[in-house]
Formats: sequence, structure tokens, C-alpha cells
Amino acid sequence: MAATTPADAKMVAQQFPTTPRAGRARHILGYWRHPVAQAIFKAFLTVFVTTSITFFLIRLMPGNPIDIKIDELTKDGLMTYAEARSQAASLFSIDLDKPVLEQYLSFVGNLAHGNLGYSFVSQGTPVMGIVLAVLPWTLFSVGTGLLLSFSIGVFLGLFAAYNRNTKIDHILSLGGSIISAVPNYFIALLIVIVLGVELRWVPITQMRGATSPGIQPGFTPAFVGDVLFHAALPISVFFLSTLGHWILGMKSATINALEEDYVNAARARGLSDGRIMTAYVGRNAVLPLVTQLAITAGLAIGGSIIIEQYFVYQGVGLRLQAAVTQRDYPVMQGILLMVTLAVVLANLAADLLYSRLDPRIGRAGGATGT
Amino acid sequence: MTAAALPRRGDRTLPRPIESAIEFLRLLSKRPSGLIGFIGIVFFLVLAFVAPIFVPNQVNPDVTALYETPSAQHLLGTDNSGRDVLNQIVQGGREIISVALVTAFLTTLIATLLGAVSALVGGKFDAVFVGIADIVLTVPPLIVLIVISALARPTNFFALAMVLSSLGWAGLMRQVRAQVLTLKERDYVEAARSLDLGLTHIVFREILPNMRSYIVIHFVLAMTGAIYAQVALIILGLVPFSGKNWALMLYFANTQGAFYFKDAFWFVFSPILAIVLLQLSLVLFVNALEDIFNPRLRSS
Amino acid sequence: MTPVLSVRDLSIDYRTRRGPVHAVRDVSFDIAKGETVAIIGESGSGKTTLAVSLIRLSPRSARITKGAILYTNARETIDIRTVADDELRQYRWSECAMVFQAALNSFNPVINIWEQFADTARAHGMKDSAAIHARADELLDLVHLDPARVLKAYPHELSGGMKQRVLIALSLLLEPQLIILDEPTTALDILTQRSIIDLLGTLRKKLGFSMIFISHDLSIAAELADRMITMYAGTVVERASVTDLFYRPRHPYSVGLLRAVPRVSGAMGAVESIPGSPPDLIRLPPGCTYIPRCPLAIAACADREPDLVPVDTPAHEARCIRWKTVAEQVGTAEVAVAEKIATA
Repeated sequence: MAATTPADAKMVAQQFPTTPRAGRARHILGYWRHPVAQAIFKAFLTVFVTTSITFFLIRLMPGNPIDIKIDELTKDGLMTYAEARSQAASLFSIDLDKPVLEQYLSFVGNLAHGNLGYSFVSQGTPVMGIVLAVLPWTLFSVGTGLLLSFSIGVFLGLFAAYNRNTKIDHILSLGGSIISAVPNYFIALLIVIVLGVELRWVPITQMRGATSPGIQPGFTPAFVGDVLFHAALPISVFFLSTLGHWILGMKSATINALEEDYVNAARARGLSDGRIMTAYVGRNAVLPLVTQLAITAGLAIGGSIIIEQYFVYQGVGLRLQAAVTQRDYPVMQGILLMVTLAVVLANLAADLLYSRLDPRIGRAGGATGT
Repeated sequence: MTAAALPRRGDRTLPRPIESAIEFLRLLSKRPSGLIGFIGIVFFLVLAFVAPIFVPNQVNPDVTALYETPSAQHLLGTDNSGRDVLNQIVQGGREIISVALVTAFLTTLIATLLGAVSALVGGKFDAVFVGIADIVLTVPPLIVLIVISALARPTNFFALAMVLSSLGWAGLMRQVRAQVLTLKERDYVEAARSLDLGLTHIVFREILPNMRSYIVIHFVLAMTGAIYAQVALIILGLVPFSGKNWALMLYFANTQGAFYFKDAFWFVFSPILAIVLLQLSLVLFVNALEDIFNPRLRSS
Repeated sequence: MTPVLSVRDLSIDYRTRRGPVHAVRDVSFDIAKGETVAIIGESGSGKTTLAVSLIRLSPRSARITKGAILYTNARETIDIRTVADDELRQYRWSECAMVFQAALNSFNPVINIWEQFADTARAHGMKDSAAIHARADELLDLVHLDPARVLKAYPHELSGGMKQRVLIALSLLLEPQLIILDEPTTALDILTQRSIIDLLGTLRKKLGFSMIFISHDLSIAAELADRMITMYAGTVVERASVTDLFYRPRHPYSVGLLRAVPRVSGAMGAVESIPGSPPDLIRLPPGCTYIPRCPLAIAACADREPDLVPVDTPAHEARCIRWKTVAEQVGTAEVAVAEKIATA
């Protein structure tokens, strides 16, 4: 908007103040536009909201776990109400005497220091320790399974799109649809009852647990081999249950990409089919799938609650299931928070990865995502 | 599609809904996997809601026939109390499908209205709800559902449906909002706005009718999600139902160690098969729907 | 001298569910060295179908049913229709470069301009990055762009006009004999259109390539063209030099196109669009395809489709049995107006 008269110029100047403080504020706000800053803020917000909701669910709902615990402790008459109350409070790391807002703030404060409370069942064991002992195993199996299914699935989807309407395409597409329709915990169950019990092709009893008993941890081939042996079944389940999604997604994205003008333009320039397939079609088609990586991971972790039970794999899913059965609320809460944190971080990583891959996003002033 | 393709009786044409239905079936028949899916859905609806009327509920245990393998008398064998498995399969679909329908309905309703209104109103309202949807989408859903169920303990299936919808609306809401944002720019919406026809009118009369196919597709997808989640919750024993239920059969199988018992194979496998085939039918049907409604492949 | 490109009786059909669409019918023309030929037609006239077939980039549903596309350079003559795939890849861009309609989406959005230059160069055997870089700098200079800035940029960071210039620079990378431009200025604003046309004129004078300029816009095409071909319903209806077409059109469609050009100097009411719409290319009428829209149609026009016959001079041909009547009607009144167009 060009200022053509002194009156106009004054109007323009009023809209854009140029005092030093305003300038600095605008400078900082300018960072706000950067997608990385926005993503980090969103991650923070998600964890924050989840913790708050957990707090209120635990503390304020009728029939909430704290009251139940107090009832439990006072039932046999072994403790007075006051004693039970303070014990329950310490187990949840909440001070019940202070007003709710202060309770909330100290709850959040504790969390920030990594204090997630103490287990109901194994008295005095810090929840954080419990969770950290099991979380890595699940992240390992989910991560490996997903990595494999993404790389193989994307490749197969690309292949299916390039060979559209041929027999191999029909097989891949139908196969992808079928395996994506089977819930992931059922794939685990079917492996157990069909491959394990009925056909005896898989030594499921030997593969139980995250490691064989008595093996020494360390970066030795023996240990690593053992870990992989035990993780093979969960990894297979996560691999199979997500493979279909990548095949179908990449196929559809590739078909769309193939119709783009720049693909034809590249052909007109004499580029080889191979180069077009990788750098022109492939790189563009895979973009929307990267955004789905974290969500898929979240779904997979959810299924691990049942999957790890069937394989007796000591990950976070199995621990959560135990906590639910035992009504060990601090552990439940702790697991929810840590898993959410893990998924949020994964989301963040995926967002950052995407902004590196797509030059249209990820630069200040680039397009905002939907 | 020319007028000649539509059935006529004498001079009169069939009423519009029937015409559309016949046309729809015609298009579906061109996509064999979709047709199979559709038949599957119809089959399961009949199995779950109609068949139990004719097949009496067998509750009497028969201790002489524990864990029998399939025979002429018990086509799918018996369970740990001697009850016929096939009978349980017939009885067991009702609750699962009802919950799925109610959940899908609630999810689609919330997501569609929220998405449309949010896109139309824009500004801070929109930003807030998109933020909430983002947070709901990021959190791993099954874990949250488990924690919620452990705390809130839904006791009837409507309550369960509500618990499931509390998380399921976010994905669809984002997509509806994106669609509405693009439709917002279209002429007829501009016209309605300039005539000051009010938000409700715009949403219900101008925008939603154009998203009909979109909404139907997501309704079916929401059903698959609801089935996945509720089966998981039931298998974990978090949702104490009485009565017959495919997922409940698996819960009992688990607690009785039936997984590792070779004779109990059909007791365990039958509900898995039923649930998987139901999901598969829904997925194949929805793939065909996407194909049919895809504007690139159809002229209208 | 052998023409650079010689198209003989080319016919192209599209396969559709309703039947084959005869998109291009018996089209023949020659392009001499250094000549610019404009192909004018409305959408659906077959001009783009024709153009992409010249580098054999037609979609899978298209089939060349008849004819030959003969390309000649210093060494040999090849038929694009039958040449081997490898040779075709070499032919594309190094002999004949085609700049598409919608240049705005001609670039891969996720890699930068330099990569796309390099890809093109490497696909044709240039391996030395420094040499490619030098050449890219040279070409971008030629189109008045800053190489340092443009090569590092991603396509979405460039304006429409800049992208069109980059494409033109890129098209000159291998010094092709023939450049085909399909609606190069359609999506651009009027000032940018002007600069692109000027640029093309300058480059052509400097480098001497032949050019096929496809457009629906008569006045823009006339600026650069030596000869013009008007297409209607998949076939050539008039073929003439620019001056002949403007001063002495001999087909009612050409006349209609001329009348439809808005004129700065003319009276307001003088602009007329041609009423009606093009025919169904699946079920073509037996006679002349222009009858429904033609003010001069008579019964005899419907008997069979007219041949392309010479009118006035051998180089000027029209597909109309009543071309003499057209000539009379055009007469002296139109000459004055056409002169004004040509000099505007």
C-alpha cells in the first residue's frame, strides 16, 4: 500500500509503529511464525493438557482412585482416616490439605522434576523408575517394526502404482486392505494360536520375555541376538499391522503425483524414467505419508497393551495391563504421561523431518499446514 | 449417466431414493471387492440382529461336552462349559455392532458440526478447536481410553460409545474443516452469506449436502475404529458386560488359558474370524465407496 | 532445403468409453529452419494433442492412427512415431524442446532450480558440474534473471513470469533446433506477457531456432509468427503467412477469430464472438465441421468435408468451398481494420 499523500503516510505509520520496543516485539513475534517454534509449543501444550486432565480425572472425579485407596486402607481398621489420607496422598504425590490449585501446581512441579509418584502395589517404588525400565523395550519393538514397514511399504506402494491394474497391483492392494483390516492385537493372537499352538511353527514359549533369563546385558552379539530373538514376534506384529497402510497410502499418493504437470515436463526434458521415479514422483508422493508416521506409532503403542500380554514381552504395554488389573493408579498415570511424552516427541521429530523434506514448509513465512 | 439407464415403470420413474439405490448397486457391482464387502456387511447385520430372533440363546452348560472339536452337533465346537460356539457367535454380534453404530454416529455428528462451524466462524474459535483436535489426535488413543475406562467404568453400551467418541472425533473434524474451508470459497456459499442467511442455514443447506459422500465414508471408517477400540477394551476386561459378545468370548478364553489348549482352537478362532471378517467387509466397502465418489472417475 | 519438421497426414484418436475421439485429423505442415509457425485454435481444437505428439508424450489413451512426424537435423531424418525409446529421450530437449502450458507447475516442487538444470544436463550426457553451472549462468543471463539467486531457489519462491523465463532458459540448454511453446503466456498478467514475447523475439533473432507457437490468442501469436495455421475440430482449416491471414482470410472461422479480437481503435460494438460450440469429435458430421457456426454455410457444405485447397497463392490454403465468397465479403473494409490490428 503506497503512501501517496502525507495523510496516507501518517495512516501507514500509525499501523506500523517503529518504536524500538515495538520493533523488538515484532522481531520476537517473527520467530513465532517459524514452524519449528510452533511445533515445540504445540508439543509442550499437549503434554501440559494431558497432565492436567489426568490430574483432574484422578483427583476430582467421583469414585476417584484416591478416595478408593483411602477406603481400602481404612477398611481393616488398621489405619485411621488421617493416616490413610496422608499415605494415599504421598503415593500420588499430592498434598490433600492444600487448596486444589496449589495441589495442581505442586503436582505439575513434581512432574517437572520427574517425580511421578509411587506405586500402590510395590510400596515405595517410584513410578518413574518402573516406567523407564519398560518403555525402551516397547519403543524399540514399535520403532523397528514401523521402520521396516514404512521402507518396505513405500517401496511396494510405488511399485503398485507404476504397475497399476496389473495382477501384482491387485494382489498388493487387496493384500494391503486385508492386513490393515485385521486389528494388530489379533495378528498377535493369531500368531500365538495358529503358528504357535496349532501348527507349532514358532517356539512361542521360548520367545517370551524381552530377554532370555540369565543373559548378560551389554553390546555383545550374544545379547543383541537374544534381544532380537525375543523382540522378533512383537516387531513382526507391528510390521504387518502397519504395512498395508503404507502400501495403499503410497500407491494413492504416487498415482496423484504421476498426474502432475512437472512429471510430464520432466519427461519432455528427456529425463530417465528412473530419475523421475525417485526424485520427481517418489519424493513428492512420500511427503503426506511422513506426516502419518507419528500417528501410526501412537496407534501401535496402544495395541502393545494387548500384544505384549500375548507374547509376555516386558514392555510398557504389559506393565500397563498389570497396573490396570491391580488398580495401581499411580503407575497407570505415569505410563500415560510418559507414553504421551514419547509420542509427542515422535510427532515433533516427524514434523521436523517433514519440514526438511518439503521446502515449501519449514521456512519462515512458508505456507502454514492445515 | 443418461436417463435411459434408470428403470422406469411405464411413464413414471421410481421414487428418487430407490433410483439412487439401484444406481449405487450398479456402480458397486463394477468393483468386485466392494461388492463382496457390501455383501459381508449385510450378512453380519442379518447375523447380528435378525438371526438371534430365530436362534435361541443357549445358556445351559453341558459338562459332558467341554472343549469339543467341531462336529455335526456343534459346528464350531464348544467352549469351556460345553456351550455351543456357533450359537455364541450368532448371539455375539449385536452388542459390538450396536456400539459401533452409535459411536460412529456420535463421532460423525460431533466432528461434522464442529468442523463445519469452526471453519465457517474462523478466527479464535477456530484456532482453539483446531488446537484441541490436534492434542486429541497426538495422544495415543487406546492408552487414554484404557485409563478413562479404568477410572470411569462404563457399564452399558451407550456409555462405552460415549467414551469411544470422546477421542474419535478429532481426525474427522480436521478433515471436515479442511473440506469446508475449500467449499467456503465457492459461489453458492458466498451468495448465501451475502444474503445473510445465517450460520445454521449455510451449514445445513449449502455445505453439508455437498459433503454427503464424504460423511458416509467417514461414518464407515469410524465404525471400524470403534470396533477396534471396544474389542480391545473388552478383551482387557475393562468393560464388564454380561451376555454374549465376540470380544467377551476372547476375554474368557484368555482368563481360562484357552489360547494354549489345542482343542479350544475353534472357540478362540471363531470370534477372531467373525470380527476380522466384519472389519474386512467394512474396509473393502469403504474402499469401493471412495472409488465411486471420487470425482476423477465419475462424471457427476 | 528440407524442413526441420515435417508433419504428414497426422491423425490421433483418444480411446474413450463412448468411442474413439478423433482429436487430430489429417494434419500436415512443414517448419523450415528458423521459421516461426503459430497454431491457433480454441480449446478442443486438437492443438495441444498435436503438440505433445511431436515429442511422443501423448497420454496412454491416445493413439496415432495415421501419418508421420519427420524431424531432420544435419545428420539424419527420423520419424518420431517410430524412433526407438533411447533415441527419443535424446531427441527430447536436445533437438526439440517443448514448453508446456501451465509453466507454473512444470517444476518439481521439492528440489531447487539448479538441481533441475543439472538433471536435464546430465540426462543428456553433460557430466561436468562446473560446465553445467557455467552454461546455466549464461542462459539465465540471457533471459534477464540473476543466476545466483534463481539457481538456489525453489520453484515456489519464483513468480509466474520468472518461472516462464527459467523454462525458456532451460529450453535453450542443449541448443535445440526446434522449440514448441504451448500457450506460454496464458496464465501471466499482461505486462509479463509483453516481456516474455519480447524475450522470445530477441532470442529467436539471436539464436535462430525454429519455433511452434500454440495459442488461442491471435494477436500475440501474430507478433512472433511468420506463418499461421488455424485449427478447428482437429484439422487445419487455413494455412497462410501472417499478413495473408490478417488481410486476406479465406475461411469463415479465421474471419470469426479476427472479428473476435478486441481492438483499441475500433468501435465497441465491433467485437463479436463466434456463436455456438465445437462439434462432437466422436461422431463427426459427414460434411464441413464448421456448418453450425458458419454464416456462409450452404447445402453443398454438408456433402463432404472440404479439402484444403490453395487460394490466392499456393502458400495460402483454406478448407472451404466458398472461399471466394469469403474473399468478397472480407473485401476492402476489413483490410483497413486488419491493418490496424497488425500494426497495433
